[in-house]
Amino acid sequence: MPINYYIFLSIALFVIGIVGVLTRRNAIIIFMCIELMLNAVNLMLVAFSKMHHLAKGATDATAGIDGQLFVFFIMVVAAAEVSVGLAIIVMMYRNIHSVDVNFLNRLKH
Amino acid sequence: MNITQILFWFLSALTVFSALMVVVSKNPVYSVLWLIFTFFCISGHYIMLNAQFLFIVNIIVYAGAIMVLFLFVIMLMNLNQSSEPKKHRWLRMAGVVAGGCLLLVLVAALKNIDIKKQVAETNTGDIGLIGNLGKVLFNQYVVPFEISSILFLSAMVGTVVIGKKE
Amino acid sequence: MNALLLTAVFGVIMMLSSFLLTSKTAIRGLAVSGMVIVLAANVLEMMGIVFFKIDTKDMIAFDRFSLLFNSIVFISTLVYFLLSARDMEKVGINYGEYFALIFFVLCGVTLSSSFHSLLILFLGIEIISIPLYILTGSDKRNLKSNEASLKYFLLGAFSTGLMLMGIALIYGATGTFSTNGITTSPTSALVIAGMLLLMFSMAFKVSAAPFHFWTPDVYDGAPTVFTSFMATIVKVAAFIAFMRLFNDEFGSLQSRWQLLIALITAITLFIGNITAVFQQSVKRMLAYSSISQAGFMMMAIFAMNADAREGLLLYSAAYCLATIGIFAVLMKLKDYSFDGFNAFAKQQPLLAATTTIFLLSLAGIPLTAGFLSKFWMIKAVAGTGKYLWLVIFAVLMAVVSVYYYFRVIQAMYFKEGDGQTIEASLPFKWTLVLLAGIIVLLGVFPNWIIYWLYF
Repeated sequence: MPINYYIFLSIALFVIGIVGVLTRRNAIIIFMCIELMLNAVNLMLVAFSKMHHLAKGATDATAGIDGQLFVFFIMVVAAAEVSVGLAIIVMMYRNIHSVDVNFLNRLKH
Repeated sequence: MNITQILFWFLSALTVFSALMVVVSKNPVYSVLWLIFTFFCISGHYIMLNAQFLFIVNIIVYAGAIMVLFLFVIMLMNLNQSSEPKKHRWLRMAGVVAGGCLLLVLVAALKNIDIKKQVAETNTGDIGLIGNLGKVLFNQYVVPFEISSILFLSAMVGTVVIGKKE
Repeated sequence: MNALLLTAVFGVIMMLSSFLLTSKTAIRGLAVSGMVIVLAANVLEMMGIVFFKIDTKDMIAFDRFSLLFNSIVFISTLVYFLLSARDMEKVGINYGEYFALIFFVLCGVTLSSSFHSLLILFLGIEIISIPLYILTGSDKRNLKSNEASLKYFLLGAFSTGLMLMGIALIYGATGTFSTNGITTSPTSALVIAGMLLLMFSMAFKVSAAPFHFWTPDVYDGAPTVFTSFMATIVKVAAFIAFMRLFNDEFGSLQSRWQLLIALITAITLFIGNITAVFQQSVKRMLAYSSISQAGFMMMAIFAMNADAREGLLLYSAAYCLATIGIFAVLMKLKDYSFDGFNAFAKQQPLLAATTTIFLLSLAGIPLTAGFLSKFWMIKAVAGTGKYLWLVIFAVLMAVVSVYYYFRVIQAMYFKEGDGQTIEASLPFKWTLVLLAGIIVLLGVFPNWIIYWLYF
C-alpha cells in the first residue's frame, strides 16, 4: 500500500487521541486517549519500517528493522507508564472519590 | 481493487470509527471496550504489514494486559455509570476545532512529501519475524534493552511507594 | 559510562536499603556516600579512566560536554542531599525509596545528556519522568500533592506522545534513529513536522512558554523538598537534552527554527518574570522564577555556538546551586509567604546572608555566578548577529526579575515581624556557607568550569 495512506491513517488516529485529551474530563479516559496516540505512532513506525525495508532491503537485509524495535520499546515504556499512571489515579480516587480532572481551578488559589 | 486493498480500507475505516467511539462514548467501560477493539484493528494492520511479532505483542501486552488493567481500575472505582461531569460546551467545541486544525495542517503539510510514491510492502518481507527482530535486538539494541529494565525497576518502586498503605 | 552504571546500581542498593537498614541516618549516609562515589567515578571518566568498556553501538556518546554536565549535576545533587535529605523524612515513610527514585532519575539524566540516538533520548526522558511523577505525589495524604502528580503525569504522557510522533516522522524521512544530523536537501516536510513536534515536547519538558502552564501548579503542589530537585537538576537536564538534540540532529536547519525559538524565548522571559512579580508565596514565586530562568537558558538553544555551550554549563551550575540553597532555607520555614521572611536577618543572620547571596546570584548581580552566566548567554546571542532585540529584551527582563528577588531580601532585613523560630544545625549552616562561597568564587573565576570543557 502507498505509504501516504498509512501516514494519513496514523495522523487521523493521533488527532482523535488529541481531541479526546482536550475534550474529556475523566482522567482514565484522557489516559486512554494518550494510549491511542501512542498506538498511532506505533502503526506509523511499522509502516515506515516496511517502506525503508522495501527501499533498502536489497543492499541491507536488516534495513527497517529498527523501526519495529522502536515500537517494541514504546510498548515497554507504555506498560511502565500505565502502571504508574493508574497507581496515581487510584491514589487520587482514594482521597476525593472522583477522577475528574477539573482541578485546574482548585490548585490555583 | 485486490483483496489487500479491500482489507486495508475496511480495517482503516473500522480503526478510525472505533477510535472515534472511544472519545465519544459516555460510559467509560464502553470506551475501554472500543479501545480494545481499536487495538485489534491495529493488530490487523500489523498482520497485513507482516509484522507478526508486533501483532502478537500488541494483542498480549496492549489488549491483554494494559487494557485489562484499565478495565479493572474502572470497575474498582465503580465508574460504570455515565456520571462523568461534562466540560463546558464551548470548551469542548474549542478542543474539537483545535484538533481539526491540527489534522488539516498535518495533512496539508504531508500531502506532497517526497516519499509519497514509496510503498510499504504488505504480505511479504521477513523483518517482522521474531527471529530476525531478536537477533538485532540482542546485538545492536542490547544497551537500550538493558536500560529499559531500569525504567521498569523505577516504575515498580514508584508504584509500590504510591500504592502502599501508610 | 561509569556514572550511568553506578547510578543504576545505587538505585538498586537504595531500594534494598529501605528494608535492610532500619535507621534513617544510615540510609542517608549510604545515599550521600553513593553520590560521592558516582561523582568520583564521573570525574575519573573525565580524566580518561573508564571502568566499564561497553560497546553501545554508537547509541550513547560520552563526550567532554556531557561528562562535564554530569559532574555539575552530581555536585548539585550531592549538595542537595547534604542540605535537604533530612527534610525528606517528613514527606512519608518510604525514605529509602525516595533516594532510589532520585538515583534512577540521575541515571536518566546521564542518558539524556549523552544520547546519540533518538531511542536513548526517549528512554532517558522517560526514566527521568516516571520517578518524578511518583515523587510529586509522594505526599499521599495531601490533596494538592495528589493533584499535582496527576496533572504532571497526564501532561507529561501527552508530551511524550508528541515527542514520539516527531521521532516517527523523522524516522520516516531519514530511515535511522541516530542523531547524525539531517543531510537530505531539500528538507522534507516530514522532517519539519517532526522537528516542530519534538521542539514542542521539549519545550514542555523545560517548561518554556506557551507550554509552561503545568509548572507553577506542579511545583507548588509537590512536596517542597522534591520541588527543589525538580526545578533544578531535572530542568537543566532537559535543557542539555534539548541542546544536544537541536545541535546534533537539527543543526543544519538552524535558519528554519531560529525565529521560532527566539519567539519562545521572548514569551518565556516575559511570562515568567511578569507573573513572578505578582506572587504572594515564595514557593510559587520560585516556580515562576524557574520559568524565567528557563527563558535565559533558552537563549543558549537559540544561539547554539561555542559561547552558548559554555554558557549553558555555567548557567546550570549557577542556577542549580543557588536554587537548591534557597529551597533548603525555605523548607525550614513554616510560612511560605513573603511575610514569613520578615525579620529573618535578626533571628538567623548567617542564613539570611547566604540566602541573600543566592538571591543576588539568581537576579544576576555582578560578582556572583548568576551574573556571569547571564552575561555568557547574552554574549552568545550577540555573537550570532541576529535578533538583537532579544538581547535588549532579556536585559530588560533581568531588571524586572531584580524586583521580586529583592522583595525577599527586603523582607529579611528591613521588615519588622515576630520572625518564625527555626532550628538549623551547624553542619547545615556550614554547607550553606560553602555553597555561597562556591557561587561567589564561580562568579569571579568562571574558568574553573569552562577549563574542563577544553583541557
